[in-house]
Amino acid sequence: MKFINYMKRIKIILAFVSITIVAIVFESCGGKREPNYTYMPDMAYSRAFEAYDSNNLKNENINYIPYPVEGTIRRGDLFPYPLPNDSNGYKMSAQIKDPLPPLDTIQMAEAQRLFNINCAICHGPKLDAQGPLSTGGKIPAVANLTLKQYVEMPVGTMFHVVTYGKNNMGSYASQLTREQRWMVIQYVKSQQLKGSAASDSTKSSGTAAKDSTTIKK
Amino acid sequence: MNQLTRIFLKTTAILFFLTLLSSQEVLFAADGEALFKANCSSCHKPLEAYVGPALKGARDREPSKDWVYKWVPNTSVMVNTDPYAMKLKSQFGNVVMTPFPDLSKADIDAILEYANNYQKPGGTPEGPVTQPQTDNSLLYGILTLILAVIGFVLLQVNSNLRKLTDEKEGIKSMPPVPFYRNKSYLLLLVIVIFLFGGYLLVQGAMGLGRDQGYQPEQPIYYSHKVHAGDNQISCLYCHTGAQDSRHANIPTVNVCMNCHKSIKDYGGKPLVREDGSPVNANAQIAKLYQYAGWNPNTKTYDKPGHPIEWVRVHSLPDFVYFNHSQHVKVGRVQCQTCHGEIQNMNQVKQFADLSMGWCINCHRTTNVQFNDDQGHGNKFYSIYEKFHEDIKNHKYDSITVEKIGGTECMKCHY
Repeated sequence: MKFINYMKRIKIILAFVSITIVAIVFESCGGKREPNYTYMPDMAYSRAFEAYDSNNLKNENINYIPYPVEGTIRRGDLFPYPLPNDSNGYKMSAQIKDPLPPLDTIQMAEAQRLFNINCAICHGPKLDAQGPLSTGGKIPAVANLTLKQYVEMPVGTMFHVVTYGKNNMGSYASQLTREQRWMVIQYVKSQQLKGSAASDSTKSSGTAAKDSTTIKK
Repeated sequence: MNQLTRIFLKTTAILFFLTLLSSQEVLFAADGEALFKANCSSCHKPLEAYVGPALKGARDREPSKDWVYKWVPNTSVMVNTDPYAMKLKSQFGNVVMTPFPDLSKADIDAILEYANNYQKPGGTPEGPVTQPQTDNSLLYGILTLILAVIGFVLLQVNSNLRKLTDEKEGIKSMPPVPFYRNKSYLLLLVIVIFLFGGYLLVQGAMGLGRDQGYQPEQPIYYSHKVHAGDNQISCLYCHTGAQDSRHANIPTVNVCMNCHKSIKDYGGKPLVREDGSPVNANAQIAKLYQYAGWNPNTKTYDKPGHPIEWVRVHSLPDFVYFNHSQHVKVGRVQCQTCHGEIQNMNQVKQFADLSMGWCINCHRTTNVQFNDDQGHGNKFYSIYEKFHEDIKNHKYDSITVEKIGGTECMKCHY
């Protein structure tokens, strides 16, 4: 009788110890480098393709094109930019007109926000090529948009450059829609008009300086 | 007397001119640096080729001492006529220098003088200040263990002493029970194991499917601290989609190349992994060039590129719908609210546990930004007409996400 009691006790203790070990194993599985286990993987992980999933459809002979058909225009978006990315297109771009009506104050605030996110890191929030990446010289030859040649630059040429990039500047077509690009250009032009009166008095050989974009191809 | 004054005047005049001249000298040297920084530094470096050639010793390489005077104000014409200029143009990717007609000969001299005397700044590389995180739990554990052993020994001593006194007074004591069969000891052990095991079990079970602190190794050691922190790049520059779509998209390689076309060297503080090993930042940029198919020497894409397969850090189960634009654009929630201090993380680590309780808590406490009189806030909420009325009638002063249905099941599960 005593022996049976003893065995029972041992069993209870063993049960507790095994529970503890299981718990510790669960706990330690949440390692930092590997994702944790889930209760029901078929509920947690999508069986349908999610964004950025890799797929093997081509090898399964399933015809799937991940891109829209060429020439597709998004609902509500502007028509595609007609000029090609070459020197001839660059020259012709001066004739392209801004398709947007002048922005109201709310739209202008949005354009400023887009400019500050996408452009100001190099061109500077004041358009003077004093952005965080250009002041330290990390990115060379950033255009100082307050200079005369940029104040006089046609909007179409600006759109061409933002769309295709030029010299060190990359294309922003993947980050800004056509409409957003035109909005940003309207913002730049409005700031240039504000600034050009003030900057006339402060010019000197020193300030003419920071520019670089006059680099011609 | 008269002569003396004259001599005195003459010497003072000479001294005056001498000081003027020498101060001119100082101004001259300083001017060189200022002029260089203002006019040239965006394309030239003193010691190495950049967009244009290195300026140190430029005059010795040029065909004649006066060549540079002709070149600087008149680059666009000379580049088509002068053989040396044509050679330079082909060397530097057919990029032609901006003409600087405003720079005088003295200015050019000053700039070249500055470049020739330029010394590489020999600063001591600043090591990262790594403070080992002090974790006291081990110390406390050892202390508790020692106390437990002492307590155990004292209890044994106590029972022995009692036995001795009992013997002395002639009281018959019970036969001794060894401690491993002592009921109170066993009970204590069981309670301790139950509490400790139960705690770990509950923690482990609740942690299933949650990944707080998950910090996977990425194909490229990309530091958010360097990009979003030190260089102040907006989150939305790369994760453009966060404001427009369900996903905060991962940037394609061309977005990286917007800046890394120019930036091929890392010049910041040395990067160190969590385990203390140093990171070769330039090798990481070289990896990016491989993915992009970019040749930094010729500055062209000469190989086919392929996407970088980043490892996803934050992931919600498939049965939860989450939309970034709804939070970023409509709710105007800062990225850091859910993702933590991303701008201070080298490798991204999951900040929140992304549990349902965590979502619900935020929905209960966060106020939505209704349109106020100034036209701020969000038009999205204008459909909640009754709440607008109530705010006007001062029934409420703010509306939480919960009030507009932010804790309904089918908001996120459907």
